[in-house]
Order: sequence, then structure tokens, then C-alpha cells
Amino acid sequence: MLGAIGSFLVTGAMISAIYALIAIGFTMIFGVGGVLNLAHGGLIMLGAYGFLVVTSSSTVEFLTIPPIAGLAVAIAVGAVASYGLYVGLVEYIEDNPVITFLATLVVALILAELAVVAFSSSPRGLVNLAPGSSGGSLGIRVTNIEIVAFVVSWVAIGLLWYYVTRTDEGRSILATSMSQRGAQLTGVDLPSIKARTWLIAGGLAGLAGVFIGTLQQTSPVMWLDPLALAFIIVVIGGIGSIKGSIVAAYLIGYLETLTVTLLGSGFRGTFSLVVLVIVLLVMPQGLYGREWVHE
Amino acid sequence: MSSDTQTGGPLESVADGYNDRFGHLFGELNGPQFALLIGSLAVLLVAPVWTSLLGVGGLLRTLALASIWAILAMAWDIQSGYTGYISFGHAVLSGGAAYTTAMLVAHVNPDLPFLVTAPISVLAALVIGLVIAVPSLRLRGPYFSLVTFVAGLIFYQLTYAFSGYTGGELGQRVGRIEFELAGAQVTTFDPVTRYYVMLVPMLVIAVALLYVARSNVGMILIAIRENEEAVAAAGIDTTKFKIWSFVLSSIPMGVGGVLLAHFYGTVNPLNFLLVDRSIEIIAMAVVGGMSSILGPIGGAFLVIVLREEVLGVFGVTGRWVALWTVVLLVLVFARDGLFRKLWHVLGDWGRIDGGDDE
Amino acid sequence: MTNNDTGIPVTRNERKATIDRRTFLGAAGAGAVATTLAGCLGDEDDLIRVGHIGPLQQDMGAGSENSAQLAVDQLNEEDGIMDREVELVSADSVGDPGEALTATEEMVEQDGVDVIIGTFVTEVMQGITDYVADVDVPFLITGSADPVTVTDTVAEDYDRFKNIFRSGPINSDLQAEGMVDYAEFLADEYGWTQFAHIADDAAWTEPFSDNLPGYLEDVGLDVVHEDRLAPGTDDWAPVNSDIDDADADAVFRFFAHNVGTGMLVNWRENEYEFAIEGIHVPGMSPEFWDDSEGAALYETTSQSGAAGAADITSETGPFVDAYAEEYGDDRPSLPMYMGFNTYDAVFVYKDAVERAGTVDYQADIDTIVDELLETDHEGAAGEIEFYGPDEDYPHDVRETTDDDGVITNFPVTQWQDDGEFECVYPEHLASADHITPEWL
Repeated sequence: MLGAIGSFLVTGAMISAIYALIAIGFTMIFGVGGVLNLAHGGLIMLGAYGFLVVTSSSTVEFLTIPPIAGLAVAIAVGAVASYGLYVGLVEYIEDNPVITFLATLVVALILAELAVVAFSSSPRGLVNLAPGSSGGSLGIRVTNIEIVAFVVSWVAIGLLWYYVTRTDEGRSILATSMSQRGAQLTGVDLPSIKARTWLIAGGLAGLAGVFIGTLQQTSPVMWLDPLALAFIIVVIGGIGSIKGSIVAAYLIGYLETLTVTLLGSGFRGTFSLVVLVIVLLVMPQGLYGREWVHE
Repeated sequence: MSSDTQTGGPLESVADGYNDRFGHLFGELNGPQFALLIGSLAVLLVAPVWTSLLGVGGLLRTLALASIWAILAMAWDIQSGYTGYISFGHAVLSGGAAYTTAMLVAHVNPDLPFLVTAPISVLAALVIGLVIAVPSLRLRGPYFSLVTFVAGLIFYQLTYAFSGYTGGELGQRVGRIEFELAGAQVTTFDPVTRYYVMLVPMLVIAVALLYVARSNVGMILIAIRENEEAVAAAGIDTTKFKIWSFVLSSIPMGVGGVLLAHFYGTVNPLNFLLVDRSIEIIAMAVVGGMSSILGPIGGAFLVIVLREEVLGVFGVTGRWVALWTVVLLVLVFARDGLFRKLWHVLGDWGRIDGGDDE
Repeated sequence: MTNNDTGIPVTRNERKATIDRRTFLGAAGAGAVATTLAGCLGDEDDLIRVGHIGPLQQDMGAGSENSAQLAVDQLNEEDGIMDREVELVSADSVGDPGEALTATEEMVEQDGVDVIIGTFVTEVMQGITDYVADVDVPFLITGSADPVTVTDTVAEDYDRFKNIFRSGPINSDLQAEGMVDYAEFLADEYGWTQFAHIADDAAWTEPFSDNLPGYLEDVGLDVVHEDRLAPGTDDWAPVNSDIDDADADAVFRFFAHNVGTGMLVNWRENEYEFAIEGIHVPGMSPEFWDDSEGAALYETTSQSGAAGAADITSETGPFVDAYAEEYGDDRPSLPMYMGFNTYDAVFVYKDAVERAGTVDYQADIDTIVDELLETDHEGAAGEIEFYGPDEDYPHDVRETTDDDGVITNFPVTQWQDDGEFECVYPEHLASADHITPEWL
């Protein structure tokens, strides 16, 4: 029994860290620009496929670099694609939230179809960054890759937190998401802040892509579930709030693990969606709606 | 471009005759606009003849399918396009109607006639529409879009979770439409009959929605989109009208869903409830031109004909890449819609500017 | 062929008689006349057209298409069908019932195919069933295994659906029986008595979820854990953990919508002490070893044809070699189960229409059906015979059994060291012994 509880706590913590990673980029972009980037899942997918191409001998034979370097490539691919998406498309249409909502979703659909063209619709696995497992002696099963994903996610989140609270550049992002008008009055260069936010959010998405692609699968349909998760987490946490995203990621991560343990796997996703609807209707501002204002 | 001198001519006098009688109901037209409408109508009405003469019989099937999607796109438009509350889950309404038909046939009585299952299914779409609308319309902007998006995801997953009733990923067979009309047996086994069974409801719904859109109700819906506070300040219960827009939308969505179920002969999550289906509805309306009713019809025909007949040259997957790219280009460079642009060009060309509600 | 030119005027008057091909054509008016004439022209140029439908951008469908092409090429090297040249018309179902229906209507009305072979997933098959029944074109299913494919159609309304057959694989009711035989083999081999059962929460797995646990208990084996997984399950840690907590010796998992890669990675890294058996459709692809970066090691799946690893009949080896020669560098490099069944179906059709002396399904579907029922064909996937009209699974391919009554045309393959695909069961076909992970 103790093992089961321990197992539950550890499993939940591992998956929740990745969920937080997925959600933070999504919420940052909404925070500074008021844009719901529905291509976020597509960026995660790009990161995973980017990692696949450079690390696996089964795709491009002469291009096989160590997985740890592949991680950097995945981050770069996500970041560059995200930056390109902003300066190449979103910047021109972000005045209209509906058009942006739709256009980013269409971008995601195009990316998914392109992935089918390039890699076929068969799902792929990724080279494991950290084979093996630990903790078996305590009766808690946890794989090394999950631990790496957990640690790296938290390091990334920590760095981000340091960046937005301790550096001038980062603080301008935070300031913008508190009040765009206020930030502008203080002479902040709004377009460059937005572009930088997209760059960072894309990098986080690319990183998340590697972990999702390894622990689950890398496939042309892998964009939708993370996107739905990002939605759920961000709405529950309060749109635009980094802290809220982390708390909500853990809430959802444990809720899902609990649902699976108690009800079986069939209702896993549905249950979270129902929680989301209830939160939206009862407290649409989420747990920490615009909490940055208070800090 | 605009030449106010270009008056008169037989076209204009016919258009004037229309404007005198019906202009106040459906909006006034000038000669070229009138010609476009009547011309399109004529092409559609005699499609079985020319498709057969040109030896492109398969096109009739595409046009039938486009008629159904035109219903869905118009239905989305009267709610989302007019009120500005953008729904990303409209396929739930048509899918709900389609599944109602399928479950009536599968679990109640396989011999239930179409004229019984169809009204019940439309009613089901209405109920689902209200269930979604009443709580979610309190939310604004992206939050409303989110709830409707999520409603779509939930319904999709529920079809799997309750596969005992819904048939899960396999869906259920519903068969084709068969009913008696004025003593004649109507069945959609026949491509020509099938085409008219899809086309006629589309035209009826188009006329009805055009009438509503030009009525006071339509004006209030647009006013809600432009400035909801001002409408409320004028003493109008905006919630009531927003819910009305959902009702106006749910009924044709239900009709479209029922027709689509019988067109395919089966219902399944993929063809009816997948998120992509909702996005396609929106894409059609946006490509044609939101909040104009006629624009979404044009958008639906354009998208379906492109998808089924033209873009096939890019291969099965490339076709979707091409289609979504077209949609993206329209979103960026012609966000008011292609058919609205065309309409304005025709409007400038003739003498009356408008017929459009913007 | 004269059936169409005389057929149209006559049948126009029969419009209300019955809902069948003639009503369809007769009522079709000008448009249908044009398309039917196109079909007729197809007949006049003396080609026999074999229609194939499957998800062509997936390995399963691509392998099936290649196999159909191979069969057609081989026929043309000999005498074709009835001394007429054969042409393959292949359509992409995209795994989507709506798309499949469009493609099928085009194949029948514009291309004038004489037979339709294929359909991988049951929803696609279901999507085109009514249409195919109405036009009477012979339809040989080679991919989807759900018993409802015949029990909801041929068994319900024989006269309407009589043109529908399944030449492989054996349906999932029978597959569930085969799985019990396999479980007993594992019990003998390793002393495993406790089994877990998990499956896609989808209609195709119901024959397994409904029957397999009971069957296993009937033969004295325990089912210690059962679960159904939502399609798109992505967090595998709790799934494996639950199986382990139940002390299962092996899990039978039935995945087509879910992809087991994540489960395999989690299982391998944690060195869970149970074996992974059952059916894993993505794992049947010869590319799965690479696709999963080797995570496939030790997993097994049942599949007809045994991926060419075993000489099931004297036809198996030559077919696999011919495929490898022609398509070995493509994806997939082996035919996959649907390819075996599709290849066989082309020959089953050929033999039947040659015995019938006609391919004209519009006039002689009854004769063609009668001859299809007479099928006794040694195919690449096994001996093919059909259940009769009055049996439980009318027009379904029969299971073959050995002397002990063990089902033999549903072999089990295992991914072994260095990405070798081996047949491990039934024993007389095995190309290698079943192996277990070293940590077990």
C-alpha cells in the first residue's frame, strides 16, 4: 500500500513537471500579447521531430549526434520556428484575436500534414536520453528518463523564473504582461518583447517535445493532446500566470493519475476536460488570474 | 471603378423589380450582384444536366456534399459571425443530430421513417445547443471560444467512452434517406435525387437566414458584436438575443447533421465530431466572408470543390496542406472573405453600394 | 459486354421493385447513364480491373497496395484472368469512412472496377458497406477483422449483402480463441498462469474483452487485471505499474489506435517482470524496429502471414521473396498482414470468376458468389475456405486447425535481437523459439 501511494506520488510528480513545461510557453504568449497560440502543440511536435532527425540513424543516416546535443537542437528548432511564426504571421494579424486563434490552429494543421508527408503517419520512438531505471528498491518504479525530464523541466522553469524576475530584459516581459500600456509608457519596445517571448516559449515547447516524444510517441497527431493540456492547465491556473500554470499542472497531473488509478484509463482525458469546463464557468479568472500584478 | 452613370439596361430593371418587392426583406442588390445570385442559383438548379453533359458525373456528388457544408457554414455564421462569439465546437451540434438519428435507428427501431428521425434529431441539436449556450455565453472572447472548443473535445471522447451506445470508432450505419413525397418515393440511392435532397434544404435555409439576418434580430446581433455594453445600455437583454442566435444556429446545424449522416450512410467520430470538422466549418465561413450568410455558402462550395476536385493533384496529404495554406492566405490577406470582396467589386461596378450588412 | 446497354432501358421501369443495383442505376437518370457507360467502355477494352482500397500513406495500406500490384503483375505474366489483361485501380481510404465512400463510388462508377479488395479498419469497411451492397460489386475484405463485418451484414440480410466476403484475417472472435491456444503454449513453456488483459477502448477489441478472460479461465488460467485504455493514451507509467501490482506473468494487450512504443520504453527501462503479448498493429510493421528505436525488442503480436518469417504454405516463401525483390527498399519492406491477405484475395477472385466464366457482377453476381463460396485456395497466408451462408460467420474465412484443434492461421511473431522478426508460434511454423527478456 505504501508502495502504491509512493508510486502514485512519484508518477504524478514526473508527469506534472512536463505538463508545466508545456503550459508555461503557452501562458507567456497570452500574457504579453493576448494571443492564444494554437500552434503551440505544433511547436512541441517540431521539437520532437527535430530531435528524431539529428539523433536517429533511421532518418538521415549521416546525421547522428549524441542525444544530449539533440536536446539543444530540439530547443533551437522550437525557438526558431516559434519566432518565425510570430514575425512571419502573427504580428500582422494579432489585432484580431479570432483571426489569430484560427490562423495559428491552421498552422498547426499544416504542420501536422507536413509531418505526415515527411515522416509518414506511423508513430516513432526517440533515442532514449537516459536509459535504465532507479528507485526499484523502494518499491517505486521510476525510469531515468522520467527523472531527467523532471529535473530538466524544473531547471528550465527555474531559469525562466530567474530571467523574468532578475534581469532587465526579462522584467520587461513581466511588465508587459502586467500592463501592456504601462510598459509601453515606460519606453519598452513592445514588438521586440513579444518576439522574444515567442522565442522563449518555442524553446520550451521544443524541449517538451523531446520528453513527450520519448515517453509517449512522436507522431503527426502528437500536437493535439499537449495543446488541450496546455489549455486546461492555463485556464485553471489563470491565463497569463506562470505560477498558476505550475500549480495547475500539478493539479491536473495528479488528478489524471488519480483518475487512472481509481476509474481506469478510459475516462482520463474527459475528466480533466470536465474539470476545465467547471473552472471556466465558476471562476473564469482561474486560480491565479493576473497574479503578476501583485508581485 | 465606380461608374454611377452605368444605370439602366435590362439587368438593372430586373434587379429593380426584385428590390421593390423583396429588397426590404433580404437586402437590395444592383444589376451585377443580382446576376451573380441568379446565375449561381441557375447553375446549381440544373447541375445534374450540365455535369452529365460534360461527363463529370462525380461532380454532382461534390456539389451535394458542398450543399450540406454550406448549411453548416451558414448556421455557424448566424451565431458566431453575427454576434462575434466565435464557436470552435459547432460540429458538436451537427454531430449530435447525426448521432441522434443513428442511435434512434440502432437502438429504438431500425424501421423508423426519416420523417420521424429527422425532426427528433434537429430537436436534439437544439437541446445540445442550449446546453452549451446557456452557461458558456456568460464568457467573452477567447474564453467562450475555449469552452466551445473543449465541448467539441469532450463529445469526441464521449463517443469512445460510451462505445456501447455510439459504436465507438466504428460509428453506426444509418442508411440512405427514403420517404414519400406527394405519392412519389424519394430515395437518396439515386445521385440526382440525392443532390436535390441536399440542395433544396440549403436554399430554404439560406432564404430563411437571410431574412433573419436583415431583420431587427440580425441588427441586434451585429450590434452585440460591435458593442455589447451599448446594446445592454439601450435596455435590450443581450443574453436573450445571444441565446436566440444559438437557437437560430442549432436548427440548421441539426438539419445539416442529419443530411450529412444520410449522405455518408454512417456516422462516426472522425467524420462528424473531430475538432477538424469544426475548424472546416469556420474556415468555409471565413474564406467566404463572415456575417453575410451568402459568403459562407460561397466559401463552402469553394472549399469543398477545391478539396474534392482540384487539390487532389497534390496527393492525399498534400491536398490538405494546400487547402489549409489557402485558408491561411485568405485569413492574412483577405480576412473579410473572398466573396465579400467579390460582392463589393460588383457593388462598385453597379450603382447601389451594398446588399451587404456592413 | 452488352449488359449495360440493354440493362438501362429495361430497368428504368423497375425503379420501385427493389432497392438494389438496378434501382440505383435506373433511377440515376442522365448522370448515371454517363458514368455507367464509362464503366461499360472499361469492359469493352477487355481489361479486368481490380479495385484496391486501403490507407495508402500507412505502412499497412502501402504494403497491401504493393501486394495487389504484385499479384496483378504475376497474373499478367501468365494468362491474366480469363485470358484478359488485369489492371489495378488503387484508392486511398485515408482511414476515413467519408473519403473511402467517395473513392469507392469513383472506382465503381468512373473506373468500372470488377471487384473491390481491401479496407483495413472496420469503420471504413462499415462506411462503404451499404453502397457496395447496392451496386453488387464483389467485395473481398483483407484487413479489418471485426466479426460485425459479416455478422451485421451477410448474416442479417443475405440477399442484400451476399457480395461481401472476408478472405483474411480470421475474425476477432476466432482470434480470441487462437489467443487462448497461445496462452496455453506460454503456460506450458514458462509456467505462466496469471495474465493481464488491456485493450484500446474501441469497438474492435470488444470480441477480445468479451471473450478472452472467460476463455482463459476456462482452461485454468487466471486473469488478474483488466483495463481499457482511451485511444491516445500517453502516460504509460500507471498502466505498467497496475499490471505489475497485479502480479501478472504476461499481459495480452490489444492496440491498434494506441501505439505501444511508450509502454515498451517504460517497461524496458523499469525491467518490469511480465511479458508483453497480444496484438499490436503498429508493431506489425517491418519498420517498427527503427520507428521505435529498438524498443520493440521482445514484444510479440499475432498477425496473419507471420510477416513472412514462416513458410506457412508453399506459396508464402515465393510471395515474400517476390515482394522483397520488388519493394524491399520501399516502406514497408515486407508486405504486412493485409498484404498477404490482399495478395491471396486477387487469386481467390481470379479462380472464382474463371470457374464462373464471367466477371459481370451486374448480371451474374449470384454465380460469382456461388463460385467464391467454392473457394479452396492455398494462399500465402494459409489455406482459404469460406464459411457457408447458413453458418455463424457467413462468407468469412475459416480458421485452420491442427490435429489438436489449435488454430494455425493466426501465427505469432516476436521482435528478437537486432531487429529480427521471427515467427514463434504455432510451433510447427516457428522460425525461432519464443524468448523472454533477460530480466524476467
